[in-house]
This record gives sequence, structure tokens and C-alpha cells, in this order.
Amino acid sequence: MEMKEQILAEFRQIAGTLINSSIEKVKKEHGIIIAYTCSFVPEELIMAAGALPVRIRATGSISAGIADDYFAAANICSFVRHIFKTIVEGAYSVADGIIIGGGCDANRHIYDNLKRSPLTIPFLETIFFPHASNRFTTDCYLNELKDLKGKLENHFGREITDEKLWDAIRTCNETRRLQLELYSLGKAGNPPLTGSEVNSVMLSGSSMPKSEYNLLLQQLIQELRASEPRAASYNARLMLIGPGHDDPSMSRIIENLGGALVFDLTCYGGKMIIGQVDETTTDPLQAIAGYQVLTRPLCPKNLNAQEHINRIVLETIKEYRVDGLIAQNFLCCDMWGGAQFILNKELREVGIPMLRIEREYPMDAAGQLTTRIQAFMETISGGSI
Amino acid sequence: MIDIFKQLMGQSQQGMIGLTIDAINAYEGPCVLSDVDCMVEIPAAFGIGFSALAVTGAVGTGLPGGAELIDNGVALGVESRMCNAIKSAIYYVESGRCKKPDMIITTNACCDAMDTLSNVMNHYKPWSDVPKFILDSPHTYDEDSYAYFGRQLRQSVTFIEEVLGKKLDWDRFRNICLESNKQTRLIMEFQELKKAVPVPAHPDFARQGTEISRWINQRLSPEVTRWLEQLVEVTEERVRTGQGIDGVTEKVRFLWWDLAGSWPPSLLERVQRELGGIAVVDYVSYGTWTLIDMTSEESIFTSLAKRFLLEGPMTRQALHSTDLFLDDIMRIVKDFKCDCVIMPAHIGHRDTNSRLKAVRELCREQGIPCLILGLDIWDKRYMTPETAFDRINTFLITTGLI
Repeated sequence: MEMKEQILAEFRQIAGTLINSSIEKVKKEHGIIIAYTCSFVPEELIMAAGALPVRIRATGSISAGIADDYFAAANICSFVRHIFKTIVEGAYSVADGIIIGGGCDANRHIYDNLKRSPLTIPFLETIFFPHASNRFTTDCYLNELKDLKGKLENHFGREITDEKLWDAIRTCNETRRLQLELYSLGKAGNPPLTGSEVNSVMLSGSSMPKSEYNLLLQQLIQELRASEPRAASYNARLMLIGPGHDDPSMSRIIENLGGALVFDLTCYGGKMIIGQVDETTTDPLQAIAGYQVLTRPLCPKNLNAQEHINRIVLETIKEYRVDGLIAQNFLCCDMWGGAQFILNKELREVGIPMLRIEREYPMDAAGQLTTRIQAFMETISGGSI
Repeated sequence: MIDIFKQLMGQSQQGMIGLTIDAINAYEGPCVLSDVDCMVEIPAAFGIGFSALAVTGAVGTGLPGGAELIDNGVALGVESRMCNAIKSAIYYVESGRCKKPDMIITTNACCDAMDTLSNVMNHYKPWSDVPKFILDSPHTYDEDSYAYFGRQLRQSVTFIEEVLGKKLDWDRFRNICLESNKQTRLIMEFQELKKAVPVPAHPDFARQGTEISRWINQRLSPEVTRWLEQLVEVTEERVRTGQGIDGVTEKVRFLWWDLAGSWPPSLLERVQRELGGIAVVDYVSYGTWTLIDMTSEESIFTSLAKRFLLEGPMTRQALHSTDLFLDDIMRIVKDFKCDCVIMPAHIGHRDTNSRLKAVRELCREQGIPCLILGLDIWDKRYMTPETAFDRINTFLITTGLI
């Protein structure tokens, strides 16, 4: 197997499981593992505490199980329920701690419900993420970071120095730079990777030590740059937006229909590669706060996010020559439902077609989704697929 | 006495009309449009109008044509299971039925749907040139949080000053805060009186009385203060004479732990009339009633912030932790001598629907009968009033409460 395929196979394996060999190795060597939800939980802070941050996923979950006892199934987003079920059933029992990000109403209650669950979590914390982007909210988030830093230091008995924070910032910035570079390859007429392959690479990024990941990713990019371009065989260049996208199945549906998924602005994907933590300032926590609150406020729960979302989508459409946008949302996600409603109006004005899909987390309606996406792609390409 | 009650009820219903979309559109003069009912003292001090669009959407669902309004909101294509009050409010904006405001102030409180309404208001193209200000409501309720939100409220004053091109009249602001405190004390007294057995005031009246005193644009006027004084006076007399609600034999007292909504008030009236069950408290009619601390400029804004974060209708319940939510249930059941808890569990409330197990378990541990309905408080087509009544009736019979 050529090197590129080997690396991709490794990423696919990591993305397809919740606890992979890298995580197990850290555990075996008595390292600290902290699992977290939401991209607004700062990995840099966890890494500076000498711990491995692992983003919680529900990949492969087909039933919300016990979560439906905690969250009313008909009225709460199935992604949150599946995430909660995955934690409560012990999939992340390898973790020494769990941090729940602010996010939406249902997501916040993962924390409240975990406190009341039979699970014993040695370190269970939550971090509030502000709903606006300005100097007040940046300061507020900075205080949250300071608070979390203190709790991590106290619980794990490790001092988090500025030096360690800067080290972590540099590593995470390098991850973001490499991921952005990988995405940029999709601008080509014939992207070297499929959307689902990029999904696997991105999911792996928050499921293994960053230093290992960066090396692998760097190698993959080199291989991709050196290899012969793939033959362009797609019938439409598409972009995907929406909340948690921790399962490449949706991307595969698009690809199986002959679509090229050239960019995704989702919580585990493209949202992670926007911007960098400023390395030129003096206070590392302040730099992280500025990055999270001002540079990448891309969750519609933040009332300043919509303009960023609209701008990034429109720029991406141009840069990646996107023919159409697929906006997927989980039922009962008010935030993305509203954001996509507003975005759709913007796109109509510039003549970009957008397909809106509301679905449950498990891909058990794949046939129906395939039909809808196929119809959408036929509309774009002006012929049957 | 009864006549005064009727008169007051009439006034409160009049006030409700003041919350409709037509009332907003009829308002002449500068107006700030918000998603939620916060910081009324500030626009009042500037002498400008204030409307909370979420409240207007909610009121709209209860007016003739409410179902059509909801259907129009659904047809817009926001999240299909979003709260119908918010969908209605969004429809008012998107259909051009809401007149262009002079400024928009929005916040994330109290729920995800409200955030969506804020986002829609802030990105509605015909309003793109309207000055906007965003307040970040934290999910915490401690002194730091109040100070944080207070600083933003202070900043909102600067924002309004810039839009209007005139400075805040601090003397007028202080007087309004003093009037607000008078009203708050009266509301607090009224809440205390409702602890009496039997409940001295009609629940609808109690609820609307409190709502209106808090929500209407002119709520900070001396007229409203006099209105509340009468309310307290009349209610005190009823408590003294052991008088309950006219024509009702009180058998069961319960906590209705959600908003009353647009159609459930008639359901609750039927429960009261036919079953002797009284909804003593709901989201709107309960508070810890923070007084504005007039010591300094900072203390004024910090205490206003505390009032909003802890007493904004539904903000207290939806914005904060399950711990506060459960503590309130326990406190209210004890203080107001409730026999049981009824959770309407409005389908659009993601917060409540994320903590029903916690409520059930708390009630079970404490031996408090608890009924979870799962209805739509803005749309009676989801669970009909008949079905809801039958479920409450069955619950009260099977638990031996009636």
C-alpha cells in the first residue's frame, strides 16, 4: 500500500472508533486523558496541563438508549442525546476528566445530567462560552479560562505555566495551519481527497496527541502534493454546513452520487481551521480568549456569529468554486435551524442553491437522504444523475 | 371588593392588548425593539418606547387567528420544532408586519429559540441600517455574573445615547428606579399573600397582574404603582377574612412550573372550577424580587442585572442550572403549600425537556406527586385542552388529591 493510503487508512481507523490505539497508549503510560464536548473548550489549556484532549463523539451510535430518560426524545436534538448516551454507557471511561462546553441549551444540560447520572467522573467541569463577541465577553471568557486553569491545576496537581501554554498554542496553531492547508487542496479542479476522507482526517485531529497527528498530517499533505492528481469525475462541487458532523456517512452519500464535497463548515470540521491564536501577545490565556471569542465565533449560539458564518460561506463558495450548499441540521436544533434560514436568504440573493436537511443523528434514513441529495444535484447539474 | 378585582382584571387584560403587534406599530416616537423583556427602566428613563418581540409573538398566538399565525411561522422554514411563540414573532418580522424600530437590543436569554429570534432581528435586511446592541446573558448567577451583565447594561445606555443624540437624564432614571422599587415591593407583598390558604386571588389574575405590572411599556408609572397598591390592599383583606377565590372550593394547590402560555389559562380556570385545583405559582408569577440598589451608578446597574438574570420571566428557569430549577420547585412547594407539581413541559422548551428526569426523581424522593404533560402552551392543536384536562383529572384522582 502506498504511503498516502497507509496514512489515510490510519485516519479512517481512528475516526471510525471512539477510543483508538493512541489514546490507549497514553492511558497505558499513565497519561491523563480529558474528554470534552464542543470546539469552544480550549484544547490548549488541557494540553498545557499535560493531558490529552479527546473530543467526545457518538460515532456509530444507533440508539439514544438511556439518554431518552434524561432528555425528552421528541424535543431534544438527537446528537446531544447520542453523545450523552455514549458517555453514560462508559465509552469514555478511559478519561480522567470530562469538560462540557457551553453551547446550546441541550448541550449545557449534558453537564447537569451527568452530575445526576450513576457515572462517577473524577473531574467533571463545564465552561461557559459567551453569546456575543466584544471586549466584555472576551474578558468574561478569559475569566472562565482562568477558573478552569485553576481547577485543572488543583485536581491534577500540575502547574500550568505560560511556557506550557505557549507550547500548546504553537502545537494547536500548527494543527490548524496544516488542516487549512489540507482543505485548500480541495480548491483544485480535481481535489486529491474526498470529503469523507477529509472528515476522517479532521475527526482524528481531536482523537490523538497533536504532535503525532501533525506529523502524520504533514506527511499526508506532502504525499498528496507529490502524487498525480485524481481524474475529475464529479458532477457538482458541494459544501456542507451544520452542527456536529462526526460521522463521514453523510459525506459518502454525496460522494456516491458523484458529488465532490470540497468544504464543510461543521463543528468537527472546517470550523476548527478558521484563524490562529495570536502568538505575538504576552498573555497566552488572553490570546486563547481572543481567538475563541473574536476570531472564530462560529456557533450560532453566539449572536455575532451569523455575520461570520455568512461571510465565510460566501468566501468559501468563491474560493472553492462551490456549485451548491447542503445545510444539514439535527431536528430540534433551534440554533442551526435559524442560522440556515438566514443564510438561505443570503444565498438566494447571489443565486447559490441550498438544500436544507433536517435529520436525526443516526443515518437510518439514508435512502431518503440519498433521494433528496440526488434531486438537488440534478437541479444543479441540469441533468439526471 | 369583588368589583375592584374585576376592575383590576379588566385593566390587566387591557395591558395585554398593549403587547400586540398592532400596539407596537401604533406607538409613535422613538422605540427600542428587543427580543426579551429586559432593562425596561433604561428606555423608560430616556422616554422612549420599548417592546419585547418574543412576548408579542406569544400574545399573538392567543389572539383570533393565532393558529394561522403559527402556521405562517412554520411555513417560513426555521427549525420545524421550534417554540411556536418565537416562530410567530419571527413571522411578524419576516412578513414585514412589524414596523422598523429605531434601535434593536437583543440578548441570548432565555433560550435557544430566543437566540434565533435575535439573529433574525439582527439580520433582517430591511432593518440592516438600524443600530444594534447585543447583551450577553451568562448562565451563572453570582455576584461576578451580575456585575458582568450590569457593565453591559451600562454600555447599553451609552449605545442609546449615541442613537438618540441625547444624554440620559440621571435624575429621571433614579426616580424611575425608585418607582420600580416601590412596585417590586408591592409585587413581593402580593407574592407573600398568595401563600395563604385558601389562595386569596384568582390565579389568572395573579399571573396577569404580575405580568402586566412587569411588561407593559408604561409599567413604571405611578398609575401602575397605585394599581398594585389596590391589588395588595384588596388581597390583604381577603386573607384577613379567609376568603378564597369567589365560587371556588379550594381542594388542591399545585405548582404549574412553566409559562402559562396563551391557551392554558382557560384550562387552569376549568381545573379550578371543576376540580378545585389552583395553580398557585408559575414561571412568571414567582420571583425573589431584587430591589434596585440606589447606592451608586454601579450598584444600580448591577442590581438591575441581577433582577433580569434572576427574575426575567423564564430567564431564571431556562438560563441557569438544574440545581436552581430544582431548588425553586422545593422552595415553592413548601412555601406555597403546594400538594403537587404539574410540569406542562412545553415542547419548545429545550431547557425543561432536558431536565424532566431530574424533576421526576426529585419529586419521587420528596413524595411530591408530579405530572408531566408535554403540551404546546401556544398551540392547543398539539395536545387539546380536553386531553390535558383529562390527564390532570386522572392524575389528581389517582394520587388521591381529590
